[in-house]
Formats: sequence, structure tokens, C-alpha cells
Amino acid sequence: MIKARALSVDGEKKFKEYISTVRENPSTPRPNLNTAPFSIEFIRELHIEESIALNSKAELAHYIQEQIRTSDLKREDVIDKNLFWSWLAYIWFDQLTLFAPDTGNRIVKEEAKYVCSRDYRDYYRHLVAGPYLILSLLGSRLSRIFLHSPVYTHNDFIEQIASRQFLITHLNLIEVVDLLYWDENKSRPKQGALSRNKPGNLRRFIKVIQQLELTYDIYSLSKDDIIRILPDEFRNWLNQ
Amino acid sequence: MKRRLNFTGRKRIKRDQVTINFIKHRDFIDSFNFINFDHSDLELPANACVYVEAYYRTELKRFPFGTIENFSAPQSTSLTDMAYRQNLKFRVLVVETRSKKILAVADGISPDSPSDRRPILPVEFKDLGNRVWELNFEEEETSPILLINERIPDIHNIAKRDPSFFVYVYPFVLHDILNHMVFVDGIDSITDPQIEWHHDWLDFVSGMGVQPKKCLIKDSDSHDQSEASKWIEQAVEAFSDRYQKYFQAMIMKGEENQ
Repeated sequence: MIKARALSVDGEKKFKEYISTVRENPSTPRPNLNTAPFSIEFIRELHIEESIALNSKAELAHYIQEQIRTSDLKREDVIDKNLFWSWLAYIWFDQLTLFAPDTGNRIVKEEAKYVCSRDYRDYYRHLVAGPYLILSLLGSRLSRIFLHSPVYTHNDFIEQIASRQFLITHLNLIEVVDLLYWDENKSRPKQGALSRNKPGNLRRFIKVIQQLELTYDIYSLSKDDIIRILPDEFRNWLNQ
Repeated sequence: MKRRLNFTGRKRIKRDQVTINFIKHRDFIDSFNFINFDHSDLELPANACVYVEAYYRTELKRFPFGTIENFSAPQSTSLTDMAYRQNLKFRVLVVETRSKKILAVADGISPDSPSDRRPILPVEFKDLGNRVWELNFEEEETSPILLINERIPDIHNIAKRDPSFFVYVYPFVLHDILNHMVFVDGIDSITDPQIEWHHDWLDFVSGMGVQPKKCLIKDSDSHDQSEASKWIEQAVEAFSDRYQKYFQAMIMKGEENQ
């Protein structure tokens, strides 16, 4: 366990340089940013296990939530601390970057996945802050459709829903998303939910809701009310 | 500029028809008061529900305020469990009880400060790397936020009092805000724009003697890009004139140092 830290601006810059270099040369050693001037102690009481194995986004988010809870902190104490989230991505960088089985190369994605953006339109893309944000907003059951995947991936449920303020802040809509697209038996999203062609897919759901929110106070509606006003194309998903 | 087509018939509650204040405890935002809601000209049904939502980014909390007929505050309007409290905006909704249709709405409301003077430019101190300041225009409906680099020693005082900061930073901030308002967002009216922060800044500029002109309205025949640019320059000049004491102070400071 180490005390939680936050990257400094110099540390963030070094981290960005490392991300850029390791993308080209996977054997580049990770710089030590766990000391000044590259990072500073964040919150004395908060400790993080650097070598913990995190098998899914849900595991990662639950782990952070538990550490925050046992440190007597609240989500509002940490949610906007971008340089803390970037530090977490730094210490878990190896887990957050997939080694492609065919080439053995590390797959490093866009910078916003590791360096937490100050712009909320990119914030949710961060591979550590994003899952924690979703879990802290939605709770364990409703976050499962977003957090079922491995820590190094960024799935389309997050991209399509967490990026839209209106959707992610309405738990009743997320209830409906869960009901329509989550396969209870297989503990994974239903096949075709993210298809662009299948009737009633997730993108269609978003379009329909964007129309309905102009007329209805979505917040006041129960999940059954919402399902009732959805077009017929969504009925099939309920029976799958 | 996004088109705001209203096919739903829902009514617009104007900014001056609602009064919302933050309640602070030791300088920290604790809760809010929804003091005034003048809906006399809106002809809303007596049993329609009134809600207030506090929101920013992914934070959203709703508070029921009874009905149009029986307006009553909830037991608690606590905001302490919300992040980004300094930046919270409010939305007032009137909802038809049975159908749950929205009858009237006011969005993007900044709370009035207790002194009734609401800051039109919220400021946040953040680590901005090697930049001194930047403007954050995150959402069309919410006012821009001035971000100032917290790495600069004593920056809180400098931003409030240092003549050089006033001379070198604020005119450019004003320029960028007006530029964004006129050319990026686009103004839909010079007397009653739908976006609240446009209203605030047009008022601010008017207060300096530079009246808004029709050439500023983006989707209109009278829109004139060159005239609109000139208007922005006039506003910046009027602002600099208003705060000429800082310019003088800076010059005097320079002479003393020579």
C-alpha cells in the first residue's frame, strides 16, 4: 500500500511524454513519478495498492470506492481531482494498457484514457475516473452494463451514455437501459445492443429519449412509464 | 448557434421571475433558498408540480416545491453531497401532474448572491500548467468560467487587486467572452436573449454605455460581422476606460521602479 498522490503539472507532462514514447517503443521503462517534484501527497488517509490485480472496470471502481469510504472521504472530495486520477492511471498503467496477443505490443490508447481531462466532455473517458464516476452515480447494479468489461477497454455504453449529461444523471433511464440491454443469464450486454442496424438498439434509444425529453419530465417517470411511451421497436428487447 | 424550436408549447420562465440564493455556512455552500417565483403571466394550472433542480456536469439533484397553488419548500435543500458546488446552476420546472408533460421551464439559472449582486464571471483556481488563465465554455446554457492558474504564488490577491492583472488579463477575458457569445453561440435577441449569461453580459456592456445593436443577432438579416466585431472592440475600450485607475497605477508603479 502506498499513500495516495496527485501528479504535479511536471509529473503530468512527464506522464504524457511517457505515454507518447511507450506507444512507439513498448519497452520504454516507466519513469518514477512517485516523488517530488512529479507528484505530491494527495490525502494522507487514503492508501492505494499499487500491485492489485483489477480484472474488470467494476472491480476497479469498487476498489477505489472502498478505499475512499474507509478513509472517511466522500465522492465530492475526489471527483474533480484530475491529477489524482491521472496518478492512479500512472501507477496502474501496465494494467490499463493491453498487450496484444499476436504482436506482444502494448496497446496504448488516446491520452485522455490515462491523463484525466479537465474538460468534462473527455473526463468520463479516463479509464480510472470514468468507472468510479459511474459507480458512484449509479450504484452497483445499475453500473454493471458500463463496468462489465476489462479495465483497459472503453465500451460503447460508456461512450454513448456517460458522455450525455441528461442520460447519466437520470437513474430511471439507466434502469430502462439495464432492463432492455442487460442479459441477466449471461451477465453481459445482450447481443446486438450496440448494433447500428438492429431495431431498438442503444443509439436509437438515445435518439428517442432526446425527443421525449422535449415533452416529458423524464425525471418524474418510472421505468415502467418510460417503457410504455417507447416505440414498439423496443419491445423485443424486453423479451430476450 | 443551436436552433431552439419549441414544438411542445411549453412556456419559458424568464430569469427575473425566479429568485434563488445560495445559503452559505463559513463560506461553504450549504443549501439554497428558492424565494420567489412570479408565474402570474404564465397561466399555469393550479395543481401543476413545481421542481427545482441543482446541476453541474454529472451532478443533479431535484427538489419538489409543491404545486403552483400550494407552493412549499421541501424540508431540506441541502447541496452538501454535490461536487462542484460553486458552479451549480438551477433549473425550475413546472410539470403537469398526470401526463408528466413539462409546462414551463427556466434553465441555466445562476443563484443570486445575498447582496443581490450576482457575479457574472465565476472564477476557479486550477493548475493550468504554464498558462496564466483560460476561459471555460463548457455548455451553451451555463456562463463561462475564468480559470486562473493556482500555481502562481499569491494569485488570489493578484487577481483581485494587482493593476497589471487588471490591465493585462481582464480586457482580453471580456473580448473572448463577447466574441464567443456573438460568433460561437450566437445571440437570439438583444433585449431578451434565451441564454441567461448572454443577458448578463449584454447588461454588463450596456452598463458601460455601449448599447447592444441588432447587428449582433446572428440569425437575422441585420447581422453584420464587421459591425459586431466593432461593437466588441467598443465594449473592451469602455471596460478599459472604466478601470483606467488600474492602468494609471500600473504606469506609476513602472515609473517608481525606473
